[in-house]
This record gives sequence, C-alpha cells and structure tokens, in this order.
Amino acid sequence: MRTRFAFCVILGLALVLPGCGKKDAGTPVDNSAVKPGETPAAKPSEGSRNAAKQSVTIWWAQWAPADGLQQLGLEFEKEAGIAVKVHQIPWSAYQDQVFLNFGNKQTDFDIVVGDSQWIGRGAAKGLYLELTDWLPQAVDMATVHPRAARYLCEYPPGSGRFFAAPCETDAVGFAYRKDWFADPAERAAFEKKYGYELEPPDTWDQFRDIAEFFCRPGGKRYGCALLTGRGYDSLVMGYQQIMWTWGGSWGDPQTYAVDGAVNADASVEALEFMKAMLQFSPKGASNFDYGQTLEAFTNGSTAMAMDYFAFFPDLLARMKDKAGFFIMPRKGEQRAISLGGQGFSISTKRPAAQQDLARKFIAWFLQERVQKLWITKPAGFTANTSILASEEFRTATPYNAAFADSLDSLQDFWNVPAYNELLAVAQQYLGEALDGVKTPREALDKLAEEHAKILKESGLVKGE
Amino acid sequence: MGEARTGLLKFGLVGPALVLLIALNVFPLLYNVALSFTASGMTDSGGFAGTRNYAAVFSEPKFAAALRTTAVFVAAAVSAELLLGFGLALALRGRIAGNAPPPSAFLLTCLLVPMMLSPAVMGLYWNLVLNGHYGVLNQVLAFAGLGQPQWLTDPRLKLVSVLIIDIWMWTPFMMLIALAGLNSIPRYIYEAAEIDRAGAWCVFRRITLPMCAPLLVLAVLLRTTDALKQFDLVMAVTGPDDAATQTLSALLYRTIFRGDNVGLGSAYACVVLVIVIALASVFTRCIGHIQKKHGR
Repeated sequence: MRTRFAFCVILGLALVLPGCGKKDAGTPVDNSAVKPGETPAAKPSEGSRNAAKQSVTIWWAQWAPADGLQQLGLEFEKEAGIAVKVHQIPWSAYQDQVFLNFGNKQTDFDIVVGDSQWIGRGAAKGLYLELTDWLPQAVDMATVHPRAARYLCEYPPGSGRFFAAPCETDAVGFAYRKDWFADPAERAAFEKKYGYELEPPDTWDQFRDIAEFFCRPGGKRYGCALLTGRGYDSLVMGYQQIMWTWGGSWGDPQTYAVDGAVNADASVEALEFMKAMLQFSPKGASNFDYGQTLEAFTNGSTAMAMDYFAFFPDLLARMKDKAGFFIMPRKGEQRAISLGGQGFSISTKRPAAQQDLARKFIAWFLQERVQKLWITKPAGFTANTSILASEEFRTATPYNAAFADSLDSLQDFWNVPAYNELLAVAQQYLGEALDGVKTPREALDKLAEEHAKILKESGLVKGE
Repeated sequence: MGEARTGLLKFGLVGPALVLLIALNVFPLLYNVALSFTASGMTDSGGFAGTRNYAAVFSEPKFAAALRTTAVFVAAAVSAELLLGFGLALALRGRIAGNAPPPSAFLLTCLLVPMMLSPAVMGLYWNLVLNGHYGVLNQVLAFAGLGQPQWLTDPRLKLVSVLIIDIWMWTPFMMLIALAGLNSIPRYIYEAAEIDRAGAWCVFRRITLPMCAPLLVLAVLLRTTDALKQFDLVMAVTGPDDAATQTLSALLYRTIFRGDNVGLGSAYACVVLVIVIALASVFTRCIGHIQKKHGR
C-alpha cells in the first residue's frame, strides 16, 4: 500500500512539475490600449531611478543591420534613458525561435523585427499588436514609401491596418563587375557581337546577351549568378520578380484564385528564361543561396550577381571599385522587384508598460533625423521618401541610387498565415524545374494545384 | 519498521531517476499523444480534432514520400556501414582465417574520429567538401581529369551525398562493435579449426560470423533506430524542404515549426515511434533467437 502511495506521489509530482512554469508577469494588452500621439522620446524625469532601469528588448536576425540598430539603441538610451537590447539570432534559427517564443504566455522580446511574410501569421493569430491608430500619429505616413508601407506594415496589404512599422527596407538588385564592363577590349568585342554598347543591362534581353558574352567556362568566367537556393526563400525571391515582369503572378489577392496565374503562359516563359540563364552561371548555380551568390561574385568569377541590397555594403568592401550596381532589369515597360527587409512589430504578449516603451522606441526611430543616422549604419536602408529622393543619399554609396529607384517596383510573396507552406512547395517545384525533374510547365501546374489546396485548407478560399 | 525503512531507502534511491524519467520521457510522450488528437499550432492550442490528424498522416503523399526516403536511407546506410565496419574490423583483427596483433591505439583513434564529431558540424563541413562550385572533392576530381558531379544540387545525388556523410560518420561505430565481437571469440576455437585444417572461408562462415552475430545485430538495431530518426545531416546539407532528402524527422520538423501544425506533427511523431518500436522488437527477437541458437 505504501509502495503504491509513494509511486502515486512521484507520478503526481512528475506530472505537475512541468506545468509549474513562471506565471504571467503582466497582462497581455488588447489593441485598444494604444496611445496615439505619444511623445516619441520623453526625457527621463530627474531623480527617477526606475527610468534608468527601463529597457526595450528587440529580437532580430544576426546580420549587419542588427549591429546598426544596437548602435542606434545607444543613442536612444542617451536621449530617453531607456536601454535597448538587440538580441541577434542566426538566420537559420530565427523564425523558429521567434514563433516558439510566441508560444509562451509572455514573450522574451518587446519588439520583433519580423520578415515581411510573417505579418499575416502575426496579425491573424493575435501575436502582433495592431498599430493602425497609433502608427500614423507616430510618423507621417506620407514620408513612408507606399510599397514599404503596403508590404512591411499592412495586413492584408492595402487594407490600411498596420501591424508593423518599417525598420529595414530592402530590395533585390544586381552587382556587376565594373572593371570588366569598362575594359575597352571587352566593350569593343561586345559591340561587335551584339551591335550595341556594353552597359549595365536595362532589359532582361540585354541581361541575357551580357551573361552569354561573359560566360567563358574555360577561363573560369561566368555571366551571372541568380538566387536559386532551396534553404528558405531565395529561389522564390529570385524567380518571382522575373515572373511578375513577364506578366505572371502568384494569384488574385482578393479571391486567392491561383490556377491560371501561377501556371500562366507568362509564368512558364519566365521560369524557362530563368532556367536558360543557368547555362551562363557557375557550376552548381541551380542551388545558390544568398551567400553563395555573393561568393560567386567576390571570388572574381562572375560578371553579374543577384542579391539583396543589404548584402552589398559587405560586397563593396571586398570588391572595392571593381563592383558596380544596377536595378533589376525590365521587360517592355514592366519592372518588378522582390521586396526584402523587415518591420518592427510589438508583441501582444508583453505588459502594457513594455509595449509603451516599445512604441516610444519605434516612434523615435522613425523620425527623419534618426533615419538619417540609420542610413549611415552598416546596411541600414530606409523607407523614408524624402531621404530616398535626396541627392545626398543617392550619391552616398555606389548602390544607393539603384536601391532608391527599386522601391517603386517592389512586390512581395503571399504574406497570409499559411505563407510557410506556400513558400515551401514553391521552393520545391521551382527547384524541380531548375533541376530538370519536371518541365517548367509541369512544375508550375503542380505548384498551382498545391497552392490552391493550401489556400483552401487555410480557409482563405471561400464558397467552393 | 525495518521493512518500511528498506522500502523508503529503495524509493529514495530509485525515486529521483524515476521522477526524471517520467518528467522527461513519459510525460512528453503522453503529452505528444494528446496533442496528436488536437488542431494545435505553435502559438495557439486548437480544439479536439479526433482522428483527423491520423487520417491526414496516411492520406498525405508527403508522408509516403518521406517514409520511402527514410526506408531507402536506412537500408542503404545501415547495410553499407555494416559491411564496411565489419570488413574494417576483420582487417584489423585478421580474423578471417588467422590472427593478427591488436590494432594500435593511434590507428583505432584515427578511425573513430568521425563518429565523435557533431553531425551538424559535419554536415556543414561536408557542404564545403561537396559543393559543386568550389568544393574540395570536385577540385580533386577536376585535377584527376574526371567529371564534376553536382553533389548537392543534382536531385539524383542529393540523397547519395547525405548517405556518404552518414556512412563516413557511422562506419567506425559498426567497426567498434564488430571488433568487440571478434575479441570475444576464444582463441582456442581458431586453434582447433586450424588443427582440423579448416579453410579461411569455412572459419569465417562457421566460427567468426555466427559468434559475432549477436553483437552485429545489436549494432544494426542501434544504427537502424538512429538512422530512422535522421535529421541533423539532412538539415545541414539540404534543408528540411528538399523532397529528395526529406526524411520523416525532417517532415515532422517542417510540419510543426514551419507549417505551424503541432497536431499533425505530433501524429507523425507517434507513427514514427510505432515504426521504431516495431523494428526494435523485431531486432531484439532476432538477437534472442541467435543467442538461443548458440546456447548463450
């Protein structure tokens, strides 16, 4: 009897102990608690010891802009007396760690700098605080580039409901070998072969010619390196801008109908074009992630490399005056560019006082004078329209002008809560098309079928 | 009173381990089973879903594909590791026909290094070796005038690449257990066989192999259950989304963490657990049968 009793006590303890986590220290706040028009950076009241201990914790991926944000955080602390801690997590684990943390009663961060595609999940599941009333009072939305506001801050895009504020605005662009393009012998040979001058390409047809021209595998030279990696989203980011430019799309954002869009003739042609470009690329370029694309360029073998502008400061530091930059080419009058970057979102699973501090920091960050500081930080890119239009910004670095021109053409992948599933199957079938497992037509037909199924299962497609 | 004290002492000794076991193994297992009947996500606890998740497991083509990939991986990896490991052990001990001096500690340590390294680190390291563009292996092949396969991008070679790494890592483990088996065979049996003028093949077939068999089956059991859970190498080499290398564990990770479907992922986990338990019981019966046959 005693034996049974002891066993029951142990079993009971074992079952109860895991549930004895720390209790919720603060009450999650509903959206009505927002305070529009709050002073961006209130000075700490004299003699207030607690003010000095206040801090805002931000989670972001481990990369150069996060270092820049931490440096700005020190400025904020000097002005407002509120410490800012930027906790950096390696990209490969970032998404998992953020959403695992959201699974707790209270998150360890006040602000998460979330990828643009996460916003639907964050908004629909009540993880991101709604900023619709507060954000336009904290910053004049007319100074935020409309494409950045649409894709980084709104959910659904164009709805006018904000769940994030712009932090790092990014776009895909191209780096090119300025020295090769300037070489008189190369220029003469190119003009003789193609009948026009060798310049950074303005159209995809010119891009193809230049890639072909510089592709000399015997001499270890290649024409181009595109984003084709299978890790998370790089293949989709590389492909979708060509797809949009050719006239294809991921589907109707109102009805979520995808058949006939994902697998439209224009999309198939775009994928065929992208696949054809691989013949001018280094070996293994059918699976080049962001880092491998940069590597193909910085190892001196490749004439043109596609990547996000946020990676270009480091590339420039390594290649110096050998590197130039250009905007994504167009086809006809169409130009489309994959959006990158992340927005500040405030966790709903934090006490109201912490959410207030988070708002103070974001409002401070969005001021034009701070944005001018932000763009001086490593890979700090802004969505502030007046800064983007200023000659000072455009000429500050060799890539700024191309970046500023890119923003008008930004578009993004689905950012609905089921984005991850949509992204994974897109990566899979686009990859199979590049690998030759399926023809581009077969791959996109299958992709359209899978996307339709996922969107239907996630409840977005109604009335079928 | 004495008996009660003894009882308390027993629980005092066993209790902590029992509590840990229940808290870290039994509770998560039961919780996982409970979750598999819900529509829970990473950030929300969904309602009761009945057997919907299990129905999805068995009707989902991805599960069938992942099961197939895992089966091919386990069969190929464990067979190759067994053959190579046993071959290495035989070469080291010279026990096919005769005897050789025990292997030097240095040689043995060198051979065991791969299994002592972290699979995740090894995955990243082999990524550099197998990279089609700048990988060491292709540089060597190019120098030798041979072709340069795209190990990490060619869909026919991706699983082969993961297999190569796994075999490289775990062959030493098989070798170690096979060596233990060979060392356990009494020397006089070989001497008797020599007196009877038994040939090398006969010695191997009638003495070495049968007497090593229980340990070899144990090694196969351990490696099979481990290979069935293959995750870290796949994550490091090709990622969890690649259909060519998506094992059951990678699919499980994808479903829970990327797909935000904890309920379905838990159902996958339960099914994988049942498969592992079924295979383990087959192997343990096999070991028992072999031991009974040899009167051990």
